[in-house]
Amino acid sequence: MQDIVNALVLGSIYVLISVGLTLVYGILKILHIAHAGIYTLGAFLGLMFYHLTGNFWLALFLSIILTGIAGIGVYRYFYKRVLEESRIVPLVISIGLFIVMQDLYRLIWSPYRQPFAVSFGIGDIRLKGIVITEHQVIILIVTFVSLLSMYFLMNHTKLGLAMRACAEDMAIAGTLGVDVEKTISVAFFLGSALAALAGILVGVYENNVYPTMGEVPSYKSFVVIVLGGFGSLYGAVLAGFILAFTETILVAWKGFVLPRDAIAFLVMITVLMIKPEGLFRRATR
Amino acid sequence: MSLDYILTLVTFSNIFSILALSLNIITGYAGQVSLGHAAFFGIGAYTSAILAVKFGVGYWWTLLASVLISGVVGLFLGLPSLRVKHDFLVLATIGTNFVVVALFKYIDFFGGPYGIVGIPMARIFGIDLSTTGFAVYTSIWLVISTVLNLYINKVYLRYGFEAVKENEEAAESIGVSVSLFKIYAFTISGALAGLAGNLWAYQMGMVFPDDFSFSISISILTMLVLGGMGTTSGPILGAYTLTFLPEALRFIQDYRMLLYGLIIVLVMMYQPSGLLGKNGILRKAFKR
Amino acid sequence: MKRLGFLLILVVFSAVSFATIKVGLFVPLTGIGADDGLSALHGAQLAVDYINSHGGVLGDKIELLQYDDQTDPKQAVTLAYKMVQKDRVVAVVSGSYSGPTRAAASIYQRLRTPMISAYAVHPDITKAGDFIFRVGTLATVQGRAGAHLAVEKLGAKKIAVLIMDNDFGVSLAKAFKSEAIKLGAKIVYEAKFSVGEKDFRTVLSELKKTEPDVIYATGYYFNASKIVTQAKELGIYQTIIGQEGYDSPLFIELSKNHAANGTVITTDLDRDSEKPVVKWFIKEYEKKYGRPADMVAASTFDAMMILKKAIELAGKADRMAIKKALPLVGGEDFVTGFKKFTSSREAVREVVCQVILNDSFHRLCVISDPSIITPGR
Repeated sequence: MQDIVNALVLGSIYVLISVGLTLVYGILKILHIAHAGIYTLGAFLGLMFYHLTGNFWLALFLSIILTGIAGIGVYRYFYKRVLEESRIVPLVISIGLFIVMQDLYRLIWSPYRQPFAVSFGIGDIRLKGIVITEHQVIILIVTFVSLLSMYFLMNHTKLGLAMRACAEDMAIAGTLGVDVEKTISVAFFLGSALAALAGILVGVYENNVYPTMGEVPSYKSFVVIVLGGFGSLYGAVLAGFILAFTETILVAWKGFVLPRDAIAFLVMITVLMIKPEGLFRRATR
Repeated sequence: MSLDYILTLVTFSNIFSILALSLNIITGYAGQVSLGHAAFFGIGAYTSAILAVKFGVGYWWTLLASVLISGVVGLFLGLPSLRVKHDFLVLATIGTNFVVVALFKYIDFFGGPYGIVGIPMARIFGIDLSTTGFAVYTSIWLVISTVLNLYINKVYLRYGFEAVKENEEAAESIGVSVSLFKIYAFTISGALAGLAGNLWAYQMGMVFPDDFSFSISISILTMLVLGGMGTTSGPILGAYTLTFLPEALRFIQDYRMLLYGLIIVLVMMYQPSGLLGKNGILRKAFKR
Repeated sequence: MKRLGFLLILVVFSAVSFATIKVGLFVPLTGIGADDGLSALHGAQLAVDYINSHGGVLGDKIELLQYDDQTDPKQAVTLAYKMVQKDRVVAVVSGSYSGPTRAAASIYQRLRTPMISAYAVHPDITKAGDFIFRVGTLATVQGRAGAHLAVEKLGAKKIAVLIMDNDFGVSLAKAFKSEAIKLGAKIVYEAKFSVGEKDFRTVLSELKKTEPDVIYATGYYFNASKIVTQAKELGIYQTIIGQEGYDSPLFIELSKNHAANGTVITTDLDRDSEKPVVKWFIKEYEKKYGRPADMVAASTFDAMMILKKAIELAGKADRMAIKKALPLVGGEDFVTGFKKFTSSREAVREVVCQVILNDSFHRLCVISDPSIITPGR
């Protein structure tokens, strides 16, 4: 039982990081490794504003907005001019950006880990030997709320329709009167804002924020979106939870026979061998 | 002045040039992006290390074993590429990299986290290779790898790989066996990376799991793309640039990595086909 | 005339180059190891300040040449040639991790330049040859000390072991387990985890079922803060025993709900020590760098101090002479409990047990039994 709670929380974190990435990938088809740098930026800004204002939710809001704008900046100033090139070019730019970002954070905020101690005053929930800490409660609630709003946004607004149209085929969407440029910017804004949200929640949950905290998410989030079928939002959500549960079950059963990431990759490779386009292939391509 | 300092950098540049050239075969020619190339490199290095340290095998045999085993592993890891495509393949290669490193780390036969220490100096034709000797020796292998790359590029691949790179379905329809080409590419590439692994093991005298981590794969791909994918001189230029750059930037101390990353970003933004690629400035300069 | 000019240049040149004694240092200042690297750098700089403000060595000042190796063995090897042949340092201190340190050690041995490793743990580092020394406590010693702490001081009969999957964790756990079993305890649970692991809840839930008396958990402070936090969440109140990897003020800061309290560790830095050099070090470090000192800084500080002693004993700043003098170094001038080097060039030192109470480190006991603290070979 305790394991189910743990897996749910772990899954929520995977989902939050991956959904933002899926949005960006869905439209531009860029392997946006620097997304993990954006995630770290969100965490640092959140921590900075929390120290400045003392109000967690205000800090969260400010960080999300600023990180979202930074995301648009990454698109406008770095990716936009190479969209016509071979897809490996934006990938290498993304790698370079990730190096620059991590080193910039080290220069600004020092290489040391910093605690991000926030108390929400709910207290831990204990039920028949199962513990859900208040940070876990917050993560579960925030993930649920953001996924619900994403669902609403994608399915019941014009903007969502525009984003889905661009993800299908940018040229056709353009001829149908969709402002492609604006839609891409919005996707980057939303994707980066979600990354910031994830960064802050992970920062609080693990009580530390540091320049290289994006190292693991930089590839782990791709495992999730690959399993989810690359670009499918529903797929990413389901895959995030499936991965978390698989990892937890394997670890509970045998301990860490291999490091967690290697386990995740083994799961991914196995799935790809059986279903080369992920678990949840997009209906149309 | 220290000559050994420069020669050591040359040796490392040579090893990474061979790696970039080997990645060039699958990525530059066959169009299969791999972000797990350090896996082949590691398998080559560990093969030599284990044979030399645990079984006392002589240099030439370790070299042969590294090339063969990495080639065979390349062959087998090439098979999935027939089924898994595009970005799915990129992720599958990253995954392979992680799994291989995890196996090095968790299986005692591979030395576990301690790695394998105590590889003797390479001894060829009765000479122990010193710093100078090794720089020369790796240069010879670099020339051989370059010739191999040229050969693949010019003679053979005009017919097949180019078509595979442009469009797999179209290549298939004009009767090119895409599968066979991909398998060849992965095998040759694996064997070359195995050679680089052997050179690394003897240069360092030891191997550790982390020497072959994902970040090394990233470096190799960056070297290739920065220099110019699909060219022969590009990967070498990329490897030399990115090996010497961190040393050359030492004078700015704390801002070294920042500038290193920025240079990669700017070069790719303004030279998307690489410095020696189709429209690269250096290519144009040479043509003139 | 020509000859005179040449001579003059030679005199001027040697006057400039002999005004200071050049010592090299390689540390990771960028990339994943940048935090430990910065602590090591600060530790070394503080030692140089201390030495130079206390009269220098043989009347000369020490000049520290520091280089970033990015935890990359390639760069560590290249730097070895640069420092020895270009900068002409008389000795080198490694403030880096095992991989780069082990790789560079072979080169320093080949170039016949003494190197002292501050805190890298790979057992083979000193086997590179007779020019290579280590200040850090050998994992075998520390694991053994941990077992004595667990079984004899804390009376544990059933012990659970958590093993970090790098050389540090694996060496410690191996030494701990064999010694604990020898002392009559039983290992009831063990699990491996990777250095980057953040979620120990699943493993801890399994561990809890085996009802151990104490938990011996290897790891760095950032793993440890998560282990203690998550253990408390799950209602595991047994004592957790750690080692020098925990020895950072960040261990306490990063643990939630004061979960670090009650943890016992074996380490090198005795913060309650009355020795003047320790008091000076702890005060000055915090004053200068705005944060309390950790084990890494203390070990690198000592590596520099040992080097200074060796140069004094040698009577000249010469590589060969320093190498010969290093095994003779001893005394009280060190921040950690360093006593001397063994014939295999490993440090003999007292192991300090510290307990965390009220969110700060305090001395619990000192293990100085030679049969425990002498690195056996």
